[in-house]
Amino acid sequence: MNTQFKKGVLELCVLALLNKQDRYGYELVQRISTQIEITEGSVYPLLRRLKKEGYLTTYLQESTEGPPRKYYQLTDQGKSHLFNLYREWKQFADGVSQILKEGVGDE
Amino acid sequence: MNKDQFLQILSNGLKKLPAEEREDIIRDFQEHFQMGNQEGKTEEEIAKSLGSPKQIARELVATYQVEKVSEKVTFSNVLRATWAVIGLGFFNLTIVLGPFLALVGIIVGGWFTGISFALSPVLVLLNLLIAPGTFSLFEMFLSIAFCGFGLLLVIGMFYLTKGLIKLFIRYLKFNINLVKGGLKDE
Repeated sequence: MNTQFKKGVLELCVLALLNKQDRYGYELVQRISTQIEITEGSVYPLLRRLKKEGYLTTYLQESTEGPPRKYYQLTDQGKSHLFNLYREWKQFADGVSQILKEGVGDE
Repeated sequence: MNKDQFLQILSNGLKKLPAEEREDIIRDFQEHFQMGNQEGKTEEEIAKSLGSPKQIARELVATYQVEKVSEKVTFSNVLRATWAVIGLGFFNLTIVLGPFLALVGIIVGGWFTGISFALSPVLVLLNLLIAPGTFSLFEMFLSIAFCGFGLLLVIGMFYLTKGLIKLFIRYLKFNINLVKGGLKDE
């Protein structure tokens, strides 16, 4: 897939995964990488940027095993950002699938 | 590459960042290694799926520089941010360097033209000193007209420079967000 396209998709995935519940970094990375092939390390710069932009906040929480984990939480601003991105994505994806259906769909 | 090597390269790449931020980033990756370990992965496997620590560092530095230039616009900040974004990948060389040179061209050209127009009556007077007797009323009036025009241009350039730099910073941000994807190329 074309590189220009990818970062936006990764951002959408991260925001979507945080919409229903808070998650820690490793968990986010695993959730995404089981579905799409990613360079896992680039999720962390993305998380930091989203935090700086006010879309996420973080907090530390003790875990039963090992040291405390850093959890990421979506802010209200992050939620509305997610829905904007989602709308754009939906429009785009619907358009592409329509074309695909006409072009290479079942006869 | 094992965990220590990975973190070492990452840390080296982040020297431009404030110590506090650098440590926070290293902690995030330490946490990542630790959890991978708990799942039974080796350090080498984890490092491999994380990707190049150099590239991760570049991305973090570019974000930091662009953020800094959004807070305070100085020539060196703009230069650093531009350089950091260009460093993200070959593709950025063209799409960032081109607009940057155009920006510098417009700003330098505009200011230079404005200032020289504004100073044109001085040149006429200077001419009079060097070669008295060549005074022409027409030249004097023309230079005053140029001076007015030059002053307007300088005022205009003041706002245009501000606006263009703001626009360029937004363009840099857009590039960080979009150009270097997190997904693998294959």
